[in-house]
Amino acid sequence: MYRNDTVVPAFAIIFAIALFYMAYLVTQRVAALSGHTPAELTVGQIGLMAFGAVLFMYGFIGLLSNWLEGAELRPGKHEPEASSVPVVAGVILSLALAAASGLFVRTLVLAANKEAEFPPPTWLQGGLFAAMMLIIALLIAIYKKFFMAEEVLAEDEKGEFPW
Amino acid sequence: MYQWLDERLDLSRLNTKFLRKAFPVHHSFFLGEITLFAFVVLVLTGIFLTLNYEPSTRPVKIEGYNDPVPAAYASILYIDSLPFGAVLRSLHHWSAHIMIAAAFLHMLRIHLTGAYKKPRELNWLIGIVLLVLAIVTAFTGYALPFDNYALTATGIGYHIGEAAPWLGKAMSAILFAGELEASNTKTIPRLFSIHVLWLPLLLLAMIGAHLLLMVKQKHTQPKYAEKVAPGRILGVPAMPQQAVMMGVLFLVYVAVTTFIAGAFLAHPVEAFGPPTPNTPSVKPDWYFMWIYGILQILPQWDLKILGANFGPQFVGGILVPTLIILGAMAIPFLEPQKEKQRYLELPSQHPRRTSFVLAMLMFYIMATLAGYKIDFLNANPNLSSGTLIAILWVLLIVAPILTYIISYILMKAAYRSREVEIEFTGRASAADD
Ligand code: HEM
Repeated sequence: MYRNDTVVPAFAIIFAIALFYMAYLVTQRVAALSGHTPAELTVGQIGLMAFGAVLFMYGFIGLLSNWLEGAELRPGKHEPEASSVPVVAGVILSLALAAASGLFVRTLVLAANKEAEFPPPTWLQGGLFAAMMLIIALLIAIYKKFFMAEEVLAEDEKGEFPW
Repeated sequence: MYQWLDERLDLSRLNTKFLRKAFPVHHSFFLGEITLFAFVVLVLTGIFLTLNYEPSTRPVKIEGYNDPVPAAYASILYIDSLPFGAVLRSLHHWSAHIMIAAAFLHMLRIHLTGAYKKPRELNWLIGIVLLVLAIVTAFTGYALPFDNYALTATGIGYHIGEAAPWLGKAMSAILFAGELEASNTKTIPRLFSIHVLWLPLLLLAMIGAHLLLMVKQKHTQPKYAEKVAPGRILGVPAMPQQAVMMGVLFLVYVAVTTFIAGAFLAHPVEAFGPPTPNTPSVKPDWYFMWIYGILQILPQWDLKILGANFGPQFVGGILVPTLIILGAMAIPFLEPQKEKQRYLELPSQHPRRTSFVLAMLMFYIMATLAGYKIDFLNANPNLSSGTLIAILWVLLIVAPILTYIISYILMKAAYRSREVEIEFTGRASAADD
C-alpha cells in the first residue's frame, strides 16, 4: 500500500483463483447431495464467482499498472525506448483480433439461422467477444508502454476545478 | 475544426483546467473504477434488454408451452433466442452481482486506508447510499423475468420489507403496487419503471456527485509521494495517460465478464418455468444471505406495539441491517481530525481498525453460513435443529471476536519487530507494501 506494488494484486489473483475453485467445489457438493449436476448456478456460487471476478480484474489491472506506470512516479517527461519486438507483437495481436472478429461474426450468423444444425454455444460467442476485447486492451497497453511519451505532474494542491 | 470550436467554447481552457489534472497512481484506486464500469455495462446491456422486454403479465401463447405464459416471461425467452441475446442478458445479470461485490471491496479499501477521514466524510456517506441503492436496484430487477424462481426469491425480500413497522405496507405499495402475487398485474409495470428509470437515474446522479467531490477534494495519494513531492499532487495527466488506463480497464472488464456470462448463463428462466402455486426451494441472492441467515437462527416471538409487529422479521431483517448501516455512516465522525487526510494510511499501522474490518467480514461470512441451516439439517439427519442453531450462534459471535484478537496480536507482533528494525536502520524497509 506504500507504493504501486505488485504484492497485493498478485495475492488478489491467487485469491480469485481460490474463490473460483471454491465455486467449483460447491458444484461437486450439490451434485453429490442431489445426485445430478445442476444446470443453474446456486446463489453461493454466484457470490463466490462475483468476488472472484472482481479480484481477478483488480489483480490483472494492478499488475498491468505496475508494468505500465511503475511502482513510484517521478515528476518530468519520460520518453519510451524504441524497439522492434512490440511492433511484431502488435502485428500478431492485430491478426489475432481480425481472426477473432471474423469468427465472432460467424457465430452470430449461425446463431441467427434457426435451422442451423450446430447452433454455436453461448460460451463460444462470449469467449470470442472476450478475446476481441482483451486483444484490444493488450494492443493499447503495448502502445502505451513502448510508444507513448509519459508525463508525471506535481500539481498544486489548490485547484480551480470545478470551483 | 478544433480552432472553430475553441474560439466559441474556449476548449484550451478546458484542457488546462481539467484534462491536465493530475491523477495519483495506485492499484487500489481501480476498485472504484471497476464499480463504475459495472454500472456503465449495466446501462448499456440494460438498453438492449428494454428494447426487447415486455413489462406485462398478459397471457400469450408461445411454442413449447401448452398453457399461455406471461408476456414478460415470453419476452425473456425471446431475448435468449436472439443471436448473442442470451450472453447480453447474462452479462447484465453478472454485472449486477459484480457491481455490488466491487462496491463492497471498494468500501473496504477506503476503510482500510483511512480515505474516509476529513475532508472525504461526505463522499463516504454518498458511497454508502450508492451501495444500498445498487442492492435495491438489483432487487427490483430480480422479478422482471417473471419465472417461478424469480418471483419466489423476490418474495423473501418482500416479506422482510413488509415487516417494517408502520412503513411496510406503504413500501410494498410503492415498490410492488400492492401485494407481490402472480395475479397482481400492476406489479411488473411498477417494478419495471423503478428498475429501469428511477433507480438508475438516482444512481447516475449520486455517482456524478461522488466523482465530482472526488475531483474537487483530490484523491488520496500513496505514501511515498510525500517524500517525492511534499504538499503537491503527484500524478499522471487525466488526458491522455489516465484515460488510457481507464480504457484498458474497461476493455478488461468487458472481456472478463463477457467470458463468464457466456460460459455460465445466469438465471436460465426455462429451467423454472412461469409462476405456479407450488414454490421451488430458493435462497435469496448472496448479498441478502447474511440477513436471511440471521433470520434463520432467531427464535420466534410476537410483540405488538401500537399496531405494529416487532417480531424476528423486524429484528433480523430490518433492525440489524439498519444499525450496521448507521454504524458505517458514523465511522468518519468517530475519528475527527484537524488536518486534511492527504495520503493512504498503511493498514499494518492501524491494527485496531484493520482487525475490526476483518472481524466484520467474518461476521458476514458466519451469518451467510447460517443461511444454509436447512441444507445442513438435510445433509445430517442426526443433527437436531436446536443444536445446529446453538452452533451457528456461537460461530456468529465467537468467530468475529477471535478474528479480531488474532489479527490484532499478529499485526502488533509483526509491526513491533518492524519498529525496532526502523529504529535500527533509520529507515523503513520495502516491507512497507
Ligand atoms: C456503488 C457505486 C460506487 C461507485 C461507482 C464509486 C466510484 C468511485 C470512484 C471511480 C472513485 C475514484 C477511484 C477510487 O478511489 O477507487 C471513488 C472514490 C471514493 N469512493 Fe466510491 N464508488 C462507489 C461506492 C462507494 C462506497 C460504498 C464508498 C464507501 C462507503 C465510497 C467511498 C469513496 C471515497 C471516500 C472515495 C475517495 C477515495 C480517495 O480519495 O482515496 N464509494 N469512488
